[in-house]
Amino acid sequence: MKFSRRNTAAAIAGAAALALIATGCAGSSDQPAGAGNPVELTVTTFGTFGYEGLYAEYEQANPGVTIKATNIDRGSNARTDAFTKLAAGSGLTDVVAIEEGWLGSIMEVSDQFVDLKDHGAADIQANWVDWKFKQGTDPAGRVIGYGTDIGPQGLCYNGKLFEAAGLPSDRESVAKLFGGQDATWEKYFELGKQYKAATGKAWYDQSGFVWNSMVNQMEEGYYTKDGELNVDGNKEMKGKFEMLAAGTAAGLSANQTQWDWGNGKAFVDGSFATFVCPGWMLGTIKGQLESAGGGAGSGWDFADVFPGGASNWGGAFLSVPKTSEHPAEAAKLAAWLTAPEQQVKQSAAANNFPSTLKAQEKLVQDATPNVLFNNAPTGAILANRAKGVVAQFKGPDDSVIQENVFGPALKSLDAGTADAGKAWSEALRLLNDLVVNN
Amino acid sequence: MTTTLNRSATPGAAKPKPTFKQRLSIFDVKASPYFYVAPFFILFALVGLFPLVYTFFVSLFDWHLLKGQGQFVGLENFAEILQDRFFWNSLFNTVSIFVLSAVPQLALALFLAAVLDQNLRAKTFWRMSILLPYIVTPVAVAMIFTNMFGEQYGLINNILGNFGLDPVMWKNETFPSHVAIATMVNWRWTGYNALILLAAMQAVPRDLYESAALDGAGAVRRFFSITLPSIRPTMVFVVITATIGGLQVFTEPRLFDPATAGGSQRQFQTTVLYLWEMAFQRQNFGKASTIAWLLFLIIVLFGFINYLISRRIATADAGRPSRAARRTIAARKRAERTNR
Repeated sequence: MKFSRRNTAAAIAGAAALALIATGCAGSSDQPAGAGNPVELTVTTFGTFGYEGLYAEYEQANPGVTIKATNIDRGSNARTDAFTKLAAGSGLTDVVAIEEGWLGSIMEVSDQFVDLKDHGAADIQANWVDWKFKQGTDPAGRVIGYGTDIGPQGLCYNGKLFEAAGLPSDRESVAKLFGGQDATWEKYFELGKQYKAATGKAWYDQSGFVWNSMVNQMEEGYYTKDGELNVDGNKEMKGKFEMLAAGTAAGLSANQTQWDWGNGKAFVDGSFATFVCPGWMLGTIKGQLESAGGGAGSGWDFADVFPGGASNWGGAFLSVPKTSEHPAEAAKLAAWLTAPEQQVKQSAAANNFPSTLKAQEKLVQDATPNVLFNNAPTGAILANRAKGVVAQFKGPDDSVIQENVFGPALKSLDAGTADAGKAWSEALRLLNDLVVNN
Repeated sequence: MTTTLNRSATPGAAKPKPTFKQRLSIFDVKASPYFYVAPFFILFALVGLFPLVYTFFVSLFDWHLLKGQGQFVGLENFAEILQDRFFWNSLFNTVSIFVLSAVPQLALALFLAAVLDQNLRAKTFWRMSILLPYIVTPVAVAMIFTNMFGEQYGLINNILGNFGLDPVMWKNETFPSHVAIATMVNWRWTGYNALILLAAMQAVPRDLYESAALDGAGAVRRFFSITLPSIRPTMVFVVITATIGGLQVFTEPRLFDPATAGGSQRQFQTTVLYLWEMAFQRQNFGKASTIAWLLFLIIVLFGFINYLISRRIATADAGRPSRAARRTIAARKRAERTNR
């Protein structure tokens, strides 16, 4: 008996020692990284972030820091990844990229993230466009995310296809064609019908992205500013839906698969002539063209115009979860990656548009021609498109409404299996099933 | 009296007290086997039983993925899920894909195994090559097949187009999408099942075949009368594992259209995919756990039905002829012995 008791004691002692070692490791985290205190920081991003070069630069400037980066292919998968790990209470990396669309969900558990004000967020607040910084602040005033890019929208169009249809093809004339400052969705669909009549081809790739742009443009989207659901009985939204449905019924949608486009082939073979382009989408198009073997000769161009005026779609934030073992180092990295100088470099690498004022100014000054988009100064154009953008309140189920409620309804329009009325009531029914009675 | 009493008391005292070593060895003999089998049960309790019980616990609550445990609702989640049109839709899709995959898959596996059981040249090469699809990761499989089954740019629709046929809406129509996903599942699992069946076939005594052949039984007759009844237990095993796998299909439909959770109108949303949508998109962990539990019960039910059916098929088809065959063999052996 004595024998076994001694064993138990030994086991307990061993476990305690292990626990001590484990906590000991965590205890050293507050020490700043250096040659004597190597720190490994893990980062998760998604889509095209263009951070690879910046990681190397940061490692060089900060001896002792190694960055282990993961990039998830698309935002919706990154959301699943982040949610799973938040629910499990472990596994999140030291720095996590969060998308605007699911920021609403994250805000409900904002206490699981480090308040960046403890790490100097107030000192650099003025860097950002005002509304972007506010978006990353929770109702209690804690700053849980540094803004990376924003998504002001311009119009991507295919100059070659425009020419073939007898439409003007240079950027200035196209902007004027759509109505310049007064561009409207009515005009957009009207031109689409003209194009369809001249060529027999579709005007946009699928209805989903057009719809997102329309909704993001509204003062209040799926939620009111007070966080109330704002779909059922929303006449303005229904009107836009009907307009889009009429366009699709007229054959303006190419019924492409979102995020796939036949591995990018649809961007090369002239399936559609216009595309709604928030800044980050330019990077997506680049990837699609590359995978389909297309390039600068594919005819794509970027015009300084957007139907219905200023619109913002998406944009990301860098957050530090409470589970990080090196919160100070992680916050330092997040602040550095989102500082104006780095945002300029990111913009060059990922083709997206920065959220800090100085970085935006720099893009305007440089007006670097973007080879892939017929040498359009995409950065400068996006800066112009960002004027007048207002941040829309995103509720907790915003991304569910966008993807699972309106996604199926819009797809049935594209596939021609439902008319506007049927699709709208199906959307409401889905809203009821998936959000209201969830 | 006193002496007898004393006598009866002394033998116990006289019996030598077992030493510590002896006691240890008795303990060893009695307890060791339980320690040897314990790791499995501890592991099972940890990764099998506990999640099962905990999932049931979660299913009794309003449980938000991120915000955690909420109100106790009892069996309300079960009542709601049983009235949920998407749940039934997912169940229909799962069963449809399961039937479209399990039946042709097992038939083909049986055929392949029978062929491989013959005297072939380069046996190992053929056996290894049918296992090849199984070791390819499902993600790669899905990528290749998704390209083949693309609606506008897919290989199959291109070929159909060359013959002037209408493209098949592989992703937007229910039945074609089920066929496409079943194809992926079949491609991956047929070889695996064939190899298991082959192993069972190899164990069938060769003299059974020889005698049957001498009696004039053709290859088909030998297959149905000797091979099939002989591998019955393995058949049952393969059918049940295929059932469990088929009802849990997730990767193939998930990757078939990565932008949606099982098709834009849930054309090929399987139950596991619905569970996934419930947990990670709708963030309703309570209901997701409910679906998981209902699926568990359904799999148990299906497994049981399958077991009964596969037993029956194997016996009804070939029970009698095999017994007859065995009798003839016995008779021949007896004859041989007397001849000698």
